[in-house]
Amino acid sequence: MENILSVKSLKHVFSKSTAIDNMSFEVQRGEIFGFLGPSGAGKTTTIKILTGQLHPTSGTALLFDVPSTQVNQPKYLKKFGVMTDNSGLYNRLSVYDNLHLYCELYSVENKQKRIDEVLDMVNLMDEKRKVVSKLSKGMLQRVTLARALLHEPELLFLDEPTGALDPANSRHIHHGLQELNRRGTTIFLTTHDMLEAESLCHRVAFLNKGKVQLLDEPSKLRRKYSDDTLTVELVTGEKRILENGPKGAQKLYEYMSSGQVVTLFSNEPTLGDIFVDVTGRSLV
Amino acid sequence: MSFSLKRIYAIFYKDLKDLMKNMFVLTTVLTPVLFAVLTVQSEPLHFDVHYLIINLVFIMTTVFLQGAIIAEEKEKNTLRGLMMSPATTTEILIGKSGLSVLLTIITLALCIRITGYEFVYANALFLALFLSFILYLAMGTLLGLLARTVVEASLVLMPLMFVFGLGSLLLEIISDYPSLVFLEYLPNFHLQFLVEAVDAGKAFREVTGNLIVIALWMVFVCFLTVMVYRKREVDGK
Repeated sequence: MENILSVKSLKHVFSKSTAIDNMSFEVQRGEIFGFLGPSGAGKTTTIKILTGQLHPTSGTALLFDVPSTQVNQPKYLKKFGVMTDNSGLYNRLSVYDNLHLYCELYSVENKQKRIDEVLDMVNLMDEKRKVVSKLSKGMLQRVTLARALLHEPELLFLDEPTGALDPANSRHIHHGLQELNRRGTTIFLTTHDMLEAESLCHRVAFLNKGKVQLLDEPSKLRRKYSDDTLTVELVTGEKRILENGPKGAQKLYEYMSSGQVVTLFSNEPTLGDIFVDVTGRSLV
Repeated sequence: MSFSLKRIYAIFYKDLKDLMKNMFVLTTVLTPVLFAVLTVQSEPLHFDVHYLIINLVFIMTTVFLQGAIIAEEKEKNTLRGLMMSPATTTEILIGKSGLSVLLTIITLALCIRITGYEFVYANALFLALFLSFILYLAMGTLLGLLARTVVEASLVLMPLMFVFGLGSLLLEIISDYPSLVFLEYLPNFHLQFLVEAVDAGKAFREVTGNLIVIALWMVFVCFLTVMVYRKREVDGK
């Protein structure tokens, strides 16, 4: 599959600290790529470098086969969208006015229709005429997302897109992102929400102290770090852990044939467990 | 290079809508009009006073408005959004200057009407005013790019007003301190020297020196502004 984004030996040093250290990875066209890590791991710095807002100290990042240092030209800027945690909306203007300005800047056709589509996607149709300063933090985040979607980018960078949202709105956004991805948009998503990453991402990279420590499909990672056991809950309320193999199979057969099993589940770790295991850090 | 009038107009129209709800900036830029109303009480006005008001318009309206608009874009992180859009540097800078141009023309016209100043119709004078206008527009943009907030931009405006807005009052101070004589190369003084010369009936070639000083200032500040803007594009903030 074609790479839309390719990062090789990327490094970025701020005056006193190394934010990104020898980072390499690729993002394939059409996938949802999760970039997971706790605050301060280097997620936002990476997005800034990839989108040409910051030049790396060393290494290369290619976006659409063009060095990231050159993507701030109009022909490339039209191809990707960025949503960061910093809203960047005009407070004194309405939601509609904010979006209309960006429709003009991106030469979006059928502006009215497109604004309605993106507002519907982020569940904000009722707030269309509201002044931005009157919106809650979660609503601001959704307007910023709507703005990033207006020009139907090929590649979308989302920095913690559901960080300030309630579960219902997060679910709504997740469905919208999956629909966008089905229509061909590649999504680069940073988050520290492992459930979000599990439900959305085709592949995830674990970022810790500026380094990619692990990169694979969530299901493969879970299998790789699984201890190969099952937990069986019996009618007595007891929980038994069974190992994968003839012994465990025999035991399971006994429990099941005597009707003692209430439920059984695999002991695969969550992405959060794996992250802690690999990095020794929690995700908060 | 693409150049879209639609994008320029969109940025200008957004600024216009935004300004109507920003009373702090709106009232500040109209201060020179109030000053003109107050000075007109003491007739007859010497041309020094007319140019004090014109320089005040350049500083309070052109520089401050332009600086405040850009500084607020930075403060609210909206400038990044514009930079990340397909609008080019030229489109953004022209679009962001539209409102300052419009309000400067309105304020200047109002002040001149109030004070009753009659222009000497000389090409050199209009060229000098045009170059000064571009210079102050670039100075405002630079101020906005360097200031972190609107409040900071307002504070920086004070020394600028002292240096560029006081006109002949500052010239008197300079005459008492020979070490400050280099300040006579400021563009506002050369605008004033040029006006004096034109008023005395001197020809275009005799004021070329003044025009060159103003033009050099304009080129220098415009160059600096574009450099700082380009640096801001990749500073990651």
